[in-house]
Amino acid sequence: MDGLTFSLKKDEDKVELEDFYDVVILGGGPAGLTSAIYTARAKLKTLMVEKKEIGGEAAATDVIENYPGFPEGINGHALADRMVQQAKRFGAAVYNGEVMNLNLKSSPKTFLIDGQHVSAQSIIIATGTSPKKLNVPGEKELKGRGVSYCATCDAPIYSGKNIAIIGGGNSGLQEGLFILKFVKSIKLIEFLPQLKAEKILQEKFHAHENTQVLLNHQVLSINGDKKVESITVKDRASGEQKKIPVEGVFVYIGLIPNTDLFKGQLKLNEWDYIITDENLQVSIPGVFVAGDVREKGLRQVATAIGDGAVAAVSAEHYIETISKSRITNSK
Amino acid sequence: MANMSKEDQEYLKKEFSKMSKPVKLVFFTQQFECQYCQLTRELLDELSALSSKINVEIYDFVKDEAQVKKYDIKRIPAIVVKGEKDYGIRFYGVPAGYEFSTLIEDIIDVSNGTTSLSKETKEELKKLTKPVHIQAFVTLTCPYCPRAVRMAHQMAMESDLVIGDMVEAAEFPQLSNKYFVSAVPKVVINEEVEFEGALPEKNYLEKVMEAEGASMKS
Repeated sequence: MDGLTFSLKKDEDKVELEDFYDVVILGGGPAGLTSAIYTARAKLKTLMVEKKEIGGEAAATDVIENYPGFPEGINGHALADRMVQQAKRFGAAVYNGEVMNLNLKSSPKTFLIDGQHVSAQSIIIATGTSPKKLNVPGEKELKGRGVSYCATCDAPIYSGKNIAIIGGGNSGLQEGLFILKFVKSIKLIEFLPQLKAEKILQEKFHAHENTQVLLNHQVLSINGDKKVESITVKDRASGEQKKIPVEGVFVYIGLIPNTDLFKGQLKLNEWDYIITDENLQVSIPGVFVAGDVREKGLRQVATAIGDGAVAAVSAEHYIETISKSRITNSK
Repeated sequence: MANMSKEDQEYLKKEFSKMSKPVKLVFFTQQFECQYCQLTRELLDELSALSSKINVEIYDFVKDEAQVKKYDIKRIPAIVVKGEKDYGIRFYGVPAGYEFSTLIEDIIDVSNGTTSLSKETKEELKKLTKPVHIQAFVTLTCPYCPRAVRMAHQMAMESDLVIGDMVEAAEFPQLSNKYFVSAVPKVVINEEVEFEGALPEKNYLEKVMEAEGASMKS
């Protein structure tokens, strides 16, 4: 715990929900926050709703090194905090709660937030993704008993212990570098014959002597009685199986989109990501999608922010158009 | 002012101007200070320098037996956030990282004697008949943890039967091992009910009501 910091959460005034908004943004990660900055700055009455913690998956990242403007990197939570302040400065309301009974096809769009009826002219979906599970025996049973999906949360508990990371993508190696501050050693297990992570992350990870990478290995089970004691892996080339003693398993094998709320209402691809056009619009007028939850090639803070801006401007144009048509119709 | 940035100090001065009544931060340490005792003491001194309404009272965990007993302190570093009365708010471990905000919000709540819990939660807590001891295990790098601690502390404020502890898991490995803490936030209530993750207020309350029964508060 060297170099302790003191993180101050600012502007935590409780928001009273209103009945109607111009734009309601579902999800408070970098995409949703950017949309909120843009729509609030465009003088649209904006509400952003987040079910869990503001900042999304990015907020649980120790250091984001590739977001431009921060040469030394920036802590994910600190970056989200700055975005929240920026959105609030332009008048966006930021609310912690859950959206249910969403009707995207009605005009205006209607839904419940924590049981209260709210409607909006336009909806921006920025609900992001959740960590994908391994789906092997022992994972579910030992979740919270040594199986973790949040390195920034749990790594300090594994001080001086041997742990495994499953997944050799950017997340696995980036989080591995944070975990290395605490643990005795890391075994990194990658399913494919090579690591997928950026070269710079691979170099940093390999520079630590207490790391070992097993390529082309499949995790068969996570073992332990009351807590994790080992993992069983299979060499995919030779078929050889072995048991590796570890006390913690951090899983970073990919993402699943948070799209349950929209199933049956929106067109999803085969992996349940939302399909949009280039203006981030879907087939239902007034509904836009930004960030990791949509079908796209690269899921990063930088691309989420670009999406947030595009979706917000599209929503602004939509509201302008329907306002004009209302004026024309009333003449 | 070794720990806090100038910008944070200015922000806190403004926040503390919202305080109505004085708050006492009762701190337990020992002569040869534990690893994080000194840092915690420095932090509390810095906070008290920012507002005349924040006072720090320091006791020795070994020598000041009467005070240790009075506040039922189990380990150090420990902080009791006390207002007009001892509401049962405890911090075990340094309230740094994300838990720094928890301490600040507690100070303001205790000073004003109010919480942001819903009317329904407050009513439900009045139905408690037996002591409830909530231990919220956290790490200082966990962005999801403050909510679990704040809930415990606010419930302690709303009910004389509730004691809410923040426990920094990495500083107290034996206690963490006892409760199999390997993911945070982890909340243990009356040794009987436990859950992981920052539950919404309604579900958190259900767990508290479920655990009512074991006797901890004297």
